[in-house]
Amino acid sequence: MMVLDPRHAWIRRLVTFTLLLAIWEAAGRANLLNPMYAPSPSRIGGALVELFSDGRIWPHLQATFTAALSGLALGIVVGVLLGVVAALVPLIEELLEPLMTLLNAIPRVILAPLFVIWLGIGLASKVALSLILVAVLMFFTVYTGIRQVDRRLVERIVTLGGDRWSLVRHVYLPSVAAWVLGNLKIAVGFAFTGTCVGEFVAATHGLGYLLSFAQSTYNAALMFALIFLILVVVLLIFALAGRLERHLLRWN
Amino acid sequence: MSLGVDDGRFVSLVGPSGSGKSSLLRAVIGLQKPLSGTIETDLARSQIGILFQDDALLPWKTARDNVALGLTFNGMESSKALGEADAWLERLGLAGLGERFPRHLSGGQRKRVALAQVLAMKPKLILMDEPFASLDAIVRARVVRDVVALVEREGISVLLVTHDLEEALSLSDEVNLLSRGPRAHITQHYQVTIPRPRDPVHSRTHPTFAPLYERLWADLSREVDQAVEGA
Repeated sequence: MMVLDPRHAWIRRLVTFTLLLAIWEAAGRANLLNPMYAPSPSRIGGALVELFSDGRIWPHLQATFTAALSGLALGIVVGVLLGVVAALVPLIEELLEPLMTLLNAIPRVILAPLFVIWLGIGLASKVALSLILVAVLMFFTVYTGIRQVDRRLVERIVTLGGDRWSLVRHVYLPSVAAWVLGNLKIAVGFAFTGTCVGEFVAATHGLGYLLSFAQSTYNAALMFALIFLILVVVLLIFALAGRLERHLLRWN
Repeated sequence: MSLGVDDGRFVSLVGPSGSGKSSLLRAVIGLQKPLSGTIETDLARSQIGILFQDDALLPWKTARDNVALGLTFNGMESSKALGEADAWLERLGLAGLGERFPRHLSGGQRKRVALAQVLAMKPKLILMDEPFASLDAIVRARVVRDVVALVEREGISVLLVTHDLEEALSLSDEVNLLSRGPRAHITQHYQVTIPRPRDPVHSRTHPTFAPLYERLWADLSREVDQAVEGA
């Protein structure tokens, strides 16, 4: 078997990807592909340029970003708070745990139409959907995490003369932060899923709304352009989240 | 049962697994309540340190932050505590490694950080719960040698729990044999008269070592045999 140098993996991937794009483009120009279903890369690129050149895209990008990032932030806060309280207060645990398990089991995006009825077709319904997707994830991260805090670390702090506040500050808070950061990338993905699905269901702005518009007008080039754009946006935020994680978890 | 540790003495407790050796140490330091009996000490809580089998260092804190932790709990200003921590790390041969996280230290180095953490508190008594069991032979011999030297120099009393008879005899002034649990009790005391300061490796070649080891081994074997027959 041929041995591949892992350091050059990105070159091989880039070459293959470019080659595939070239074949796709060539097939399009030779009229082998129906542009109705699979518009050639140059057309998709054209649609993308058009979105930006007439400035039409900015309010949509802004809407999606605002909803996804608000949902992410609020979801983390709500999920972490509920997780901490459930892990510490038996009554809350008893009431909350079955509800969260249920919410975890269902595809939470089915709540999208309900949020539209409750909160309207504006920003609030998208934030709510992102929030609930992220909050349930964070709840279980923190709730199971706190119950599994390393007993040896707790005993070490106690035997060194630390009080309850020292335990919270030196053991529980860093542990919670580590679990949250470890799941940050998944949470970012969830937040954008929630927002885009929400916008797809009913909205006046946003990348998800543009997608549903492209669908209703059978504009495949626009659709591909939007999918590509969402991909880039999420990868960008992934990279930021990854940097944050590497910096804050550098002890790991 | 009754067990005392006088000032500056190195006392160890050996016995079969399940005789409650660890529970005894945990009761002394207050991690669990004794089922019955009393623990008397003229030492304040902060004058007793404990070394566990694993290092239990906080993974998100650097070596020096870990060492300074106990000092700040007891009211020392953090810049002063960090200075103390650096001094102790240097004394334990870890100069320049203070900014490393535990994950980036070897097993022997982590054990030394844990030791520095305990020694920095200037304890009068250190409880040791098989602290060297997880180290490989050569690292273990070196760490043990340094521990003995520091403990002798600072005049710290030690209560060591182990099931390694050689370790117990080469380090201690007194070895106590514990019977098998439940209702474990001390069946024998052995005084070890090898002179100090000691090098734990060379104390094994002292003329009194081998006969004492034979006695201890025979007594422990009998204890285990009885337990097996009794079961």
